[in-house]
Amino acid sequence: MNDAVLSAQGLCKRYGGHVAVDELSFEVLQGEIFGLLGPNGAGKTSTIRILMDIFKADSGEVALLGGKPGENRERVGYLPEERGLYRDQKMLEVLVYLGRLKGVDGARAKRRALELLERVELDEWGGKRVKELSRGMQQKVQFIACLIHDPELLILDEPFQGLDPVNVELIKGLMRSLVSEGKTIVLSAHQMNLVEELCDRILLIDEGKALLYGSLKEIKRDFAPNSVRVRAPDLPCDLPGVAGREQQGDVSLLTLDGIGAQALLAELVAREVEVESFERAAVPLNDIFVAMVQGKARSE
Amino acid sequence: MKRVLIIARHEYWVNVRRPDFIIFTSLVPLLGIVALVVSLFFGRQAGGAIVRMFDGGSNVTAVVDRSGRFTPILPNFEEEYVTYSEEATARAALENAEVQRIVVVPETYPQDEDVMVITEGSRFSGSGTRGLRTFFISHLIEEIEDETLQARMIDPYDAQVEYVGEQGRASGGVAGEVLSFLVPFLFGMLLAVTIFVSSGYLVRSVAEEKSSRVIEIVLSSVTPQQLLAGKVLGLGALGLTQILVWIASAAGLSGGLVVLAGIMLPLLMRVEVFGLALLYYILGFGVYAVLIGAIGTLGSSFQESQQITGIFIFIAAIPMMLTGVIMTNPDAMVVRVLSWFPLTAPTTMMLRLPLAEVPWTDIAGSIALLVVTIPLVVWLGAKVFRLGMLMYGKRPGVLEIVRLLRHA
Repeated sequence: MNDAVLSAQGLCKRYGGHVAVDELSFEVLQGEIFGLLGPNGAGKTSTIRILMDIFKADSGEVALLGGKPGENRERVGYLPEERGLYRDQKMLEVLVYLGRLKGVDGARAKRRALELLERVELDEWGGKRVKELSRGMQQKVQFIACLIHDPELLILDEPFQGLDPVNVELIKGLMRSLVSEGKTIVLSAHQMNLVEELCDRILLIDEGKALLYGSLKEIKRDFAPNSVRVRAPDLPCDLPGVAGREQQGDVSLLTLDGIGAQALLAELVAREVEVESFERAAVPLNDIFVAMVQGKARSE
Repeated sequence: MKRVLIIARHEYWVNVRRPDFIIFTSLVPLLGIVALVVSLFFGRQAGGAIVRMFDGGSNVTAVVDRSGRFTPILPNFEEEYVTYSEEATARAALENAEVQRIVVVPETYPQDEDVMVITEGSRFSGSGTRGLRTFFISHLIEEIEDETLQARMIDPYDAQVEYVGEQGRASGGVAGEVLSFLVPFLFGMLLAVTIFVSSGYLVRSVAEEKSSRVIEIVLSSVTPQQLLAGKVLGLGALGLTQILVWIASAAGLSGGLVVLAGIMLPLLMRVEVFGLALLYYILGFGVYAVLIGAIGTLGSSFQESQQITGIFIFIAAIPMMLTGVIMTNPDAMVVRVLSWFPLTAPTTMMLRLPLAEVPWTDIAGSIALLVVTIPLVVWLGAKVFRLGMLMYGKRPGVLEIVRLLRHA
């Protein structure tokens, strides 16, 4: 990871009296998957539309692949949240047309479309009309439609919407292989487990404002409470520095006070307690998300 | 510009292959063929009946000459005129259909001009006195020896009329005058019909793109201006294709290619009117198509969008409704106002140009206004387009549109 592919400084967007994006600043680095998170109506789609030059920002600066929004359309792939394809047209024709709009010549667009259709296991469906495809198939076609021109930067707004677990895996695999080719991805999604799995860095916004921004690892470390999960059949009750104890099945969640996890482990070993597993308790991103959004609502 | 052409070509090819387009376009020629077959079949029978009605079978005239002047039938009338001494025998011959009619010339002729004609034909058939004039004159001037004078007295002149136009130029006679009005009038109709037809396709295209949610994907590749321009070009060409097929089939079926050539001929004599009509057509189409394409995005369904855009088709047709005023007073204030207003200028000027010497200020002014209006409607249209395309659900009110436009 090195240079910023995308940087936004002090973005603002208002619709009448409603502030959709409020002084938002962030950077997306080359070769990463960047998560753009937030509850419904937080301003994610408005932010993305500004990046894509579909809306103009009221104020603020955006540098996208070294230019202003709209200057490098052919180097960016965009999967909008509100999406669909021409229903009455043949799938392959639609893909070639969308590729040509991105500046790819017809023959190359067709080659690339066939290649991508094979990758998402739809190569036998190219001649079918879009309306003949199932919803899941259409989702996959929409996904590859934004890859036809081999973009350097991908902006994906809810790419997993309406996909079954098998296809979620397929798209995840595709995203990982794109990143390994050196592409950069901005991902907006609601499925926190997927974000946790895929993203290197995130920006959490609510009501247009940034709540959390940075490396996912660091954020999780900052939020990690001083607690451990221990699975031990005969866990003693009088352990030092344990302020709270919660039984989750055969695992005990111990909240520590004045003692480190390492020291507790040493204590258990010293007492010759039989330990089957011992791990630092991490907070799921989902909990961080809920806590941040609700915490902000409470503080107002 | 390349993107605009890609969009235009795509829109054209996708729509030209639609079954409903093909059916609708071929409907006119098909109806024409049916009408032609019907008229050919029944036309022959009807024609026969008409011939029988007007022609009793014989075309011989019985002459009962009591004056004695016509008794020697001149050699050039031998075939068609036969003398009968008695009216009764002549009437018997008429009843037996041996003769077509009887002319009774009384003793008092030529001092008294009355003659009697008895015929079977109806009052409307016109056969009662046909050819009689020549027969009478030939006998009356028999004594004149000069044959040329005789011929002139029978057929005094054969007129070759030449009409001189307003500017002292020949303009092809009455037909030319009618045509030089008719052609721009047809151009005006063509504009209104093209707007009507193409706007239907435009509205449908944007409504479909909106309802299928493909629009935002497209807008990540092209600007709203490019998309709108591409659609206007492609679907304008589609509308024109349809109308040309209709005109060509109508002309071809009615043997009207000759008529079409006849229409074009006077045009060459007033090239400036033709050129201006063409210019107004192109400018007018540009303004309307952009407006309709943009405003069509505001509806949430095809039907709703069509209702909103219907108003523009009405505005385009206003001058056609005022044809009477424009014809009788081409320089009236109302006509001049309509000539300047960009939405009515194209049709008004097409009607006005052939009728009067339109002041050049009106021509230059209206063209200038149209030329200025086009980038303005493209700019505003793209804004409305951008706004309307991404607004799903309820149709916005006028005030809301104005408010949103300020932020778009």
